[in-house]
Amino acid sequence: MTRKIIIDTDPGIDDAMAILFAFAAPELEVVGLTTIFGNVQTHLATQNALRLVEFAGRAHTPVAHGAEQPLVIPYDRIPEIVHGADGLGNTHQPAPEGQAIERTAAQFIVETVMQHPGEITLVPVGPLTNLALALDLEPRIVNHVQEVVLMGGAATVNGNVNPAAEANIWHDPHAADQVFTAGWPLTMVGLDVTMATTMDEAYLAGLRATRTGDYIYQISRFYQQFHKLAHNLDGCHTHDPSAIAYLLDPTLFTTERGPIRVITDGIAAGQTLLDRRRAWLAPNAWSDLPEVTVCTGVDAERLLDLYRACILRP
Amino acid sequence: MPHRRLIIDTDTASDDAVALIMALRWPDVQVDAITVVHGNVPLEQGSLNARYTVELCAAKTPVYEGAARPLLRAAAHAEWFHGPDGLGDMRYPAPRRAPAGQDAVQQLIRRFGEAPGEITLVTLGPLTNIALALGVEPRLAHWVKECYVMGGAACCVGNVTPAAEYNIWCDPEAARIVFHSGMKILMVGWEHCRGQATLSAEERAAIYRLATERACFAMDCNRAALQAGRELQGETGLMLPDPVTMAIALDPAVCTGRRPHFVDVACADELTRGMTVVDQLNVTGKTPNIEVCWAIDFERWKAILVEMLS
Repeated sequence: MTRKIIIDTDPGIDDAMAILFAFAAPELEVVGLTTIFGNVQTHLATQNALRLVEFAGRAHTPVAHGAEQPLVIPYDRIPEIVHGADGLGNTHQPAPEGQAIERTAAQFIVETVMQHPGEITLVPVGPLTNLALALDLEPRIVNHVQEVVLMGGAATVNGNVNPAAEANIWHDPHAADQVFTAGWPLTMVGLDVTMATTMDEAYLAGLRATRTGDYIYQISRFYQQFHKLAHNLDGCHTHDPSAIAYLLDPTLFTTERGPIRVITDGIAAGQTLLDRRRAWLAPNAWSDLPEVTVCTGVDAERLLDLYRACILRP
Repeated sequence: MPHRRLIIDTDTASDDAVALIMALRWPDVQVDAITVVHGNVPLEQGSLNARYTVELCAAKTPVYEGAARPLLRAAAHAEWFHGPDGLGDMRYPAPRRAPAGQDAVQQLIRRFGEAPGEITLVTLGPLTNIALALGVEPRLAHWVKECYVMGGAACCVGNVTPAAEYNIWCDPEAARIVFHSGMKILMVGWEHCRGQATLSAEERAAIYRLATERACFAMDCNRAALQAGRELQGETGLMLPDPVTMAIALDPAVCTGRRPHFVDVACADELTRGMTVVDQLNVTGKTPNIEVCWAIDFERWKAILVEMLS
């Protein structure tokens, strides 16, 4: 039995690597892509999502255009240095043929979850604005999703925008705090594990045997330059694909449980602060909040094997 | 066939109810829907009050319930001003009809989306429903024909803090989103219901003498607000901020001075929370985002009120 997932995404090179991974995995049925600002502006995210479903031969997959601004703070820093001006490593792909559905991302999420109670897993790999809006539109989705598996945050390591914050959470910390504390089954696949898995040059070159793998190799050229510049790394971290890997095989990861609050203001805005102690003399902002699952360790080798096997599957 | 269509977003308490009566009674206007938001009273009470008012006008306007709390902050109701039930604690009976739904935000998106450029929005409460709808569907900003906002205080004192008017103070983040959305907005601050715009004892007595159920309701339900305005704000007349805004929406000539300005909403600290910062002299050089009402025709506003309660 396949698992129905909605990927909420800001493609984005690693988003593309994750989406193509999900399409290639027979265990997953991608029932829709919803788009969000982050790596690129939402309009470009929608264009790239359409490009990806068309490239993958899944043009029937609905793409729903999402929020264009965070809940509260402005969106004013587009990381072109990471993903390129076109979000796909400056590969300058032709315009897509299709277009987004009429419903917006939050509406599509609500409708789909409510029509398939208990069956939909939400996989946000960008800022969490659409999920927060969906929670506002229909609070009952909390009890009707199968689970939420998100890429974002950093519980036991530094962020990647600054010491406190990971980019997806940093773009809309208010939305993220709502999503982490909503009370639905949620797993955070954050920098704790995504930066512990590196696709090096040889690995990426080894994917080129299939059309999908070659596409991934092409878009990763720019991404790899960024990793060289920012991390002095001859390869790429495995951010968004790690969330898909968790869906396919959670035993790749070791996890902890606890409540997470997101810091929304000040120098640590965007930090995902996990209560790892759980025993305090006085109540605090984490007390009585629902626990979430946090990936803190990963078997990188097995994860990379799984990814390669999927991408190279004929 | 009515010429104009309205959707009203309201935290229905006493002055909201009067504004609803005006819109429901205005001859060439059709109120397509009423969406309720937290504010003066909790959401459920506002919904009851809106439905009671609709039934008082023998209308069938659907009432949808929306956000029960601000985007980020705790709800902060104003029963201390409008009475425990928001309607002066007159013990009005419960409305006969149930709410048409709990999906006010979806209804706003659907209804404006089905008739882009045709429906006017009037907001009488905190802007949470509108901000959420804009978050879900940014095109809403251009689907709304025009929006009349009761809220803010342009370059003058506040009523809930020295800096801020209640509706904007309740959910400043929502107000900021709406003001910067590109929607065509006229901000009608609470200052326009003060001073000469208030109803004197003679004017209130004249409305009672109309002897219609609506007229008596409009005055009775505001008795707590009248007293609170007198005790807390030193205003001897009855202030009716929502009806003033509604009068402008129904008859734009009530507004005798309006200009576009760059307007932002203070969200950062408690001292200025919800302050509507109007760049009256364009010292920032920023492009105006909304229009601000600077003056109203007092006689015309009161004439409209009396006519709609007759």
